[in-house]
Amino acid sequence: MEVITKLLNNYYYFAAMILFVIGFHTMLTHSNLIKKIIGMNIMDTSIFLFFVSIGYVRGGRAPIIQEGAGYLYVNPLPSALILTGIVVAVSVTAYALSLIVKLYAHYGTMDADEIAIIRAREER
Amino acid sequence: MSLHLPVLIVVLLLAASYTVPLLDRYRRGLTLPVTILSLITAFISSLYLLYLIGVQGPFVYHLGGWPPPWGIELYIDYLAVYMLIVISSIGLLVIIYGAKDLLHEINEEVLSWYYTLYLLLMASMIGIALTNDLFNLFVFVEISAIASCGIISAKADRRCIEASIKYLILSALGSGCILLAVAMIYMITGNLNFDYVAAALPEALKLYPYNIVIALGLFVVGFGVKSALFPLHVWLPDAHSSAPSPSSAVLSGLVIKIYAVALVKLLFRVFPPQIFEAIPILDVILFLSVFAVMAGSIFAMVQDDLKRMLAYSSIAQIGYIFMGIGLFGGRALTGGLLHIFNHAMMKSMLFLAAGLIIYATGIRNLKDLKGIGVRMPWTMGAFAVGAFSMVGIPGTSGFISKWFLALGALDLNRPFYVAIILLSSLLNGIYYFPIIIDAFFGTKVDPVSEFRDVPALMLIPVLILAAGVIFFGFYPKPLLDLVNKAISF
Repeated sequence: MEVITKLLNNYYYFAAMILFVIGFHTMLTHSNLIKKIIGMNIMDTSIFLFFVSIGYVRGGRAPIIQEGAGYLYVNPLPSALILTGIVVAVSVTAYALSLIVKLYAHYGTMDADEIAIIRAREER
Repeated sequence: MSLHLPVLIVVLLLAASYTVPLLDRYRRGLTLPVTILSLITAFISSLYLLYLIGVQGPFVYHLGGWPPPWGIELYIDYLAVYMLIVISSIGLLVIIYGAKDLLHEINEEVLSWYYTLYLLLMASMIGIALTNDLFNLFVFVEISAIASCGIISAKADRRCIEASIKYLILSALGSGCILLAVAMIYMITGNLNFDYVAAALPEALKLYPYNIVIALGLFVVGFGVKSALFPLHVWLPDAHSSAPSPSSAVLSGLVIKIYAVALVKLLFRVFPPQIFEAIPILDVILFLSVFAVMAGSIFAMVQDDLKRMLAYSSIAQIGYIFMGIGLFGGRALTGGLLHIFNHAMMKSMLFLAAGLIIYATGIRNLKDLKGIGVRMPWTMGAFAVGAFSMVGIPGTSGFISKWFLALGALDLNRPFYVAIILLSSLLNGIYYFPIIIDAFFGTKVDPVSEFRDVPALMLIPVLILAAGVIFFGFYPKPLLDLVNKAISF
């Protein structure tokens, strides 16, 4: 019971972890390269969600400090870091997709297994 | 002025990498000199930093003048400077070789983009060596991941593209693990600076042990994928064998090791020693490294392709470095870190020598190499030196690092690992010696019809590296002093 209460109180961490595992699994098991890239993005997004929720303070406001107002502010650092993380994820995705386009031009398929079959046939 | 030097090395290489495409448009002849000049400057600056920390001891540099915990901090200690020297010296020699070799391996239009990626890779590796901040580490790791995939796919060959997408996906997986680990650490300590995290972790270990254990596991997996630790090595053979020869040399020689160094920094400077009692992570690394050492050699034996064989041999050799980490406590870590430089020298030399053979004759298959030593005595001579060093013949630098690994295993009363080192050396001999014997004494079955003369500019870096392997085999003292200072955490 205690475990369930803990999970419900921290549901955003829980959701992030589930997304992480979904992305990880998609990336490793699907043979379609586009699906692999989608899995990679799900995984990255889950980490971003996790990171941002670390900085969240319940009832907090955006950290634009007003003197003497006595508001509660959220931690801005994780959000700032994640901006960098998003940029990195976007560039990796763009690069991976451009490689897939080239690969499609060479093999006529986006499936890693089919590419392996084609290569094995040619080497024989 | 000298205080800004550490960050200036990174900034210089980054600035040079962005200038090169501009130069390509207006003054194409200048791209190569700019690349080489910036790497020479980086090398000289690294030597100066070595002198500087010899005089005043390790020091920190605050980016933008912001002290931690707000700003990013660079920590210039012996380990960082050691890696700086390794990276800039090998990187310089490889690009001098690449100046001629790349002309026939990749299209002329993308040549200066190759230099851009190469400089980015160098800058990011130097950044990984210097940084003292977890998130900064992640950013540099990602830059180097993209740049190292880029220098594989620069060759417009479909095998290279396939290899680089495989590498990119697995290395993105590793980066994801690293970022999640950083999040876990930040969650409980509220800091990203190595020293602040290290100060907070012993206390946090009592409150949130699971977080730290998960973070540690994710770091090991993330950096393990990137440095091709045995069961996570699947991307390496394709990537390193199909890439252009200078890329193979740099990827096998430098890139896989910088991640091992990052892991060393995290394991021994950030995580508290109590964690090694809580979970046997060092034993796990040791266990995997034994498999790496054996399996890499066994896979290498059955290869026909010269560069593919060298790539599998890299898996075995990275195993030695991880064995040094796993046998922490004695002299083994000295051997492991020494092997970073030694293997960087010999493996980049072997890949460059293989590149010379491919350049001159177009031969990649091991069976066709009979009698090549008569045609290319210098190249095969260097190859022989590298092969001896891989096996660990006394008088070559490979012997010194294996010697210290074995001594370290005995320090910890684990003679089993001495046997493993001996056995794997024999396995190395099994696949390296036939090549040399065939090359020099094999009767030439099929006379090589096509033969291009090798430019001196390509041969000189190989010979310098071969001379280095022999020199540090007989006189390892300066390196040993440096490494011993580097591991005094």
